[in-house]
Amino acid sequence: MNRFIMITWIELKLFCRNFFNMFFGFLFPVGMLLLYGNIYGNQPTDYFGGFGTVDVSLPAYTCMIIAVTGLMSLPLTVAQYRERKILKRFMATPMKPVDILLSQVVVNFLMTVLGMVLLIITAVIVFDLSFFGRLLPVLFSFLLITLCVFSLGLVIAGVSPNGKSASVLSYLVYFPMIFLSGSTMPIELMPKGLVAFSKVLPLSYGVELLKGVWLGGKPSSYITNILVLSGIFLVSLLTAIKSFKWE
Amino acid sequence: MDVIEINNLCKCYGDVVAVDDVSLTVKEGEIFGLLGPNGAGKTTTIECAIGLRSFDQGFVRILGLDPLNERYNLYNRIGVQLQQTSFQDKIKVGEICRLFESLYEHPLLSQPLLEGFELAGKWNSYVQNLSGGQRQRLSIILALIPNPEIVFLDELTTGLDPKARRSMWDYVKELKKEGKTVFMTTHYMEEAEYLCDRVGIIHRGKIAAYGEVPHVIATCGIYYEIGFRCQHNVSELLLNSVSQLVELKVEGTAYTAYGKDQSILGKLVLALETNGIEYAGLNIKRPNLEDAYIKITGSEFLEEVGS
Repeated sequence: MNRFIMITWIELKLFCRNFFNMFFGFLFPVGMLLLYGNIYGNQPTDYFGGFGTVDVSLPAYTCMIIAVTGLMSLPLTVAQYRERKILKRFMATPMKPVDILLSQVVVNFLMTVLGMVLLIITAVIVFDLSFFGRLLPVLFSFLLITLCVFSLGLVIAGVSPNGKSASVLSYLVYFPMIFLSGSTMPIELMPKGLVAFSKVLPLSYGVELLKGVWLGGKPSSYITNILVLSGIFLVSLLTAIKSFKWE
Repeated sequence: MDVIEINNLCKCYGDVVAVDDVSLTVKEGEIFGLLGPNGAGKTTTIECAIGLRSFDQGFVRILGLDPLNERYNLYNRIGVQLQQTSFQDKIKVGEICRLFESLYEHPLLSQPLLEGFELAGKWNSYVQNLSGGQRQRLSIILALIPNPEIVFLDELTTGLDPKARRSMWDYVKELKKEGKTVFMTTHYMEEAEYLCDRVGIIHRGKIAAYGEVPHVIATCGIYYEIGFRCQHNVSELLLNSVSQLVELKVEGTAYTAYGKDQSILGKLVLALETNGIEYAGLNIKRPNLEDAYIKITGSEFLEEVGS
């Protein structure tokens, strides 16, 4: 079998054997959706500008999954592989070292897609989810947010000298990002001060964008978001490439 | 034929000189051991040799290939066991074997290898649940999957219990029988003496002794030691009639004679026998590789091993 497919397949299995990934990537978002959906239902509410709670939460929780895979799973795995000399062992084989990183990116991307699909299936079956947007802008936004967050994750993986500091850095970035960006708690519920703070978090722009296009907004209304996310993506990617340490 | 050629290799980490002008060659089909205390430069030398590390000066060829620029060809022809490699969490033995099979152009199948290394029943076991010895056997298997011409083993037996270490030795001997060249590092001298055709002792980044094991021992200038007990005073007799005698110690009836090589034994016994002198408890201590190693690396050996 092709070596890239092989390592990606095996890393995919390893992802699924990791409790943390499965819990925060799949169970937690679906659980949140079921919980809030059951409390508030999916009736249109003025609170969310005439949309239902579930319809508004779905793109937000998708961003939460992107943060789990991109800011936790990806950098922690890569930092751990480096610290435990697993990267080095693979460097002493005919495989290209960068393929090991790419396979991690692919695995985490596939799992993010799977997480989103699970959310959608749950929302459709249990809450009669509505989709007001168009497919292409939604896919484009999803991809852009993923690229942006994953490259941030690679920066964390690249600059951390060891697994421990990667965890610390990941947690420092991850928790404010999921709780204050609107991906876990709706930004509409937050006091003004926190809303202002959320503007420094890259994921806030992603949540706003994905929510916007999911609910039928035009991408052209979100040019700022698209520019910010693209900018962060490019800067992080370059930083990650420049700063990445193989051992 | 020399399959490994290292000339004047130098490698610094900042101000620290890790490898200082190391030259050595390894012939096809032999077991070569690079010996030295922790921090002497063994691992750096091996990593420079197989292209995992760039170096400041020198010339390295493995099977005629430049390890830094021909890595794809090189890694299809050598097998590597790195010091303290660990494996991915929750990966199974069968998965890591399959993965390694997929990496090489002409891989050996791992199933027969697992049988050969007594891990056949472990295909579905998690690697993290294997014992230390089993994990080291697995790392040899991974090094053998490319069907390599040279196998690099960096501290294969460190941390293993004596029994597991002995069985590793048999596996390494088996590799030689199959015609593979082995380049290994160790800091167990009895292991090097048992396995290696030739050794290099590296100390503070420099090769301090190099060659076949008996040669390395002989050039260290460590004396043969012959002990015996005798009721008579034979000091004068021995000093006069045994020309090989370098030093003689007497403590009561216990004699210890020192000589440069083992020819002293015959002369000494002959001198006692021809004069009809009775003696008992004859005991000869041949210098071994460990004596040579300690003489070369000095007292640091003791400090480093304790750390």
